[in-house]
Amino acid sequence: MFTNKTKSLLVSGVIALSLTACKDKHNDPGTEFAPNMYHSVGYEPMSQSEGDTNHINPYGMNMRLPVKGTVPRSNFGKTQSDSVNAKLLQMDLIARNIKSGDMASSEAMLSNPFAPTEKNLESGKEQYERFCQHCHGEAGKGDGLVGKKYAGVPVYSSDALKDVNDGHIYHTITHGKGRMWAHGSQISSADRWKIVLYVHELQKQ
Amino acid sequence: MFCYKTIMITMKRLKIVALTAVLGFFAATVNVNAQDVAEGEQIFKNNCAACHNTSDETLVGPGLKGIGERRPLDWIVKWVHNPQAVIASGDKYANDLFKKFNQAQMTAYPNYSEDQIKSVIAYIDAQAAPAAPVAGEGGAVATTPAEGSSNGGMMQYILVALLGVMILVLVALLSIVSSLSKLASVDPNSDEAKNVPFFQKIAENGKKLAANSAFKTGAALLITLLIGKATIDTAYGVGIHQGYAPEQPIQFSHKLHAGQYEINCNYCHTGVYKGKGANIPSANICMNCHNVIKRESPEIQKIYRSLENDEPIQWVRVHNLPDLAYFNHSQHTNVGGLECTNCHGEINKMEVVEQRSSLTMGWCIDCHRKTEVNTKDNAYYDKLVELHNKENKEPLKVQNIGGLECSKCHY
Repeated sequence: MFTNKTKSLLVSGVIALSLTACKDKHNDPGTEFAPNMYHSVGYEPMSQSEGDTNHINPYGMNMRLPVKGTVPRSNFGKTQSDSVNAKLLQMDLIARNIKSGDMASSEAMLSNPFAPTEKNLESGKEQYERFCQHCHGEAGKGDGLVGKKYAGVPVYSSDALKDVNDGHIYHTITHGKGRMWAHGSQISSADRWKIVLYVHELQKQ
Repeated sequence: MFCYKTIMITMKRLKIVALTAVLGFFAATVNVNAQDVAEGEQIFKNNCAACHNTSDETLVGPGLKGIGERRPLDWIVKWVHNPQAVIASGDKYANDLFKKFNQAQMTAYPNYSEDQIKSVIAYIDAQAAPAAPVAGEGGAVATTPAEGSSNGGMMQYILVALLGVMILVLVALLSIVSSLSKLASVDPNSDEAKNVPFFQKIAENGKKLAANSAFKTGAALLITLLIGKATIDTAYGVGIHQGYAPEQPIQFSHKLHAGQYEINCNYCHTGVYKGKGANIPSANICMNCHNVIKRESPEIQKIYRSLENDEPIQWVRVHNLPDLAYFNHSQHTNVGGLECTNCHGEINKMEVVEQRSSLTMGWCIDCHRKTEVNTKDNAYYDKLVELHNKENKEPLKVQNIGGLECSKCHY
């Protein structure tokens, strides 16, 4: 027969196996050693630390909306040359004072701070692929995979759009137009201007 | 009849011809042919489709179904050539339309001739004609459930087959057990052997086996090894969330959005090339598409509710690099040029996001040892590469620029 020793060994083996074998793997992140080293003590923008939730903000959120009336000043200076940077800032200030329904002012007052150099166009294409292509299609024909489902995506080279200027395109990205909603919160103004450069290329196709 | 339908579905060209023939009977006033419809389609898709449907549904402007009957041709031509002038002329219909659509201006198309506008109308009428599209839709509807059931049927067959195999295995095992017990115990033909019940025989054999010292040692060794393995596995798994795929408040599918529709990661994760964190999209980004797409879905309704009540959607964090290590997305994606899938696995195939990589220090270091630095078009590295190449034949890797230094990530 089994001795006591083998019996206890057998039982502990079964327990160990049953403890490790089946667990709710998908919803359980597993054991954490010293969890206070895993979860930030300081407030991180999107952290969800248990126990240390933010008691000051609603829903324990760490992120706050910007104070009303404040304007973020991007550090354009670090990435652009001085003249481009100055124009970017100028255009940004003008654009922020144009209301979303006022396409005419954008058309009249805004122009692209970036020159259509090969590098800028390449960068514009990259941004276009990230933010526009799934609706507007690779060549701006309105035939992107999402665009087909969304319906009403225009062709850039159509009579109505082939001649629209910098300000018009910038305004459309920032505030939306027709069925398209505003994308200003997703794309920095410098990147929007680079997309404008590339859209001009697509208008010719 | 069926044959006729099939041809209608497969041959678009023929459909147009057939449609125009049908139209010829009903709309004798407008003389159309297939070429007109094709030209009209081209013009419509390039210019009108952005704001108008061929059905009666409103897109940006009114749906154009039946426009040929709704308005006289010369009015349509005038309107297309210069809508503003028609409104200014005090035309009642035009002014009502202008008011109804919040004073939105339609673009003027002065370059299209009357014939071209006619062919656009022909195309709209062809789209709206009931005969062929119904046949097409009917076909599609008929095939979809069939596909679904065939998939379900396949699964059932597989399950039944598996069950069959399992039963066969069970039978085989039982026969082995019985023949072994026959060999081990008394003469199988004796009366004693026949009278002993089956389970009692197994129990007796078990007892004999348990008394065997070689078996006991083997079993003890096996159990010790299993416990050891379980302990080591658990110990190594502490703090590693690999495989963690929590249920989210909204059943968002990356497989659908990033996979099927090829929406770039950056579209929603706006910080991934610019900041430390990749960002979880705010609801306004969802709404860019879901203001029209799938509005009835209960999952999408959750976004609407969150927006209406001004409540955040409380997504469950999947990846959490311990706070003791610093990690920056832009450093890896923008400067290093790494793909998202490099660390996150094939997100575009995941229905529910799962942590694929272990995110251990060994995993980080391993990559820093192997990966070459992306020095192209980056003046910062020019001198460094020059110095490195003087002493080294290997290309400049992350470990050569401090990728293994403790204080790079731990501070």
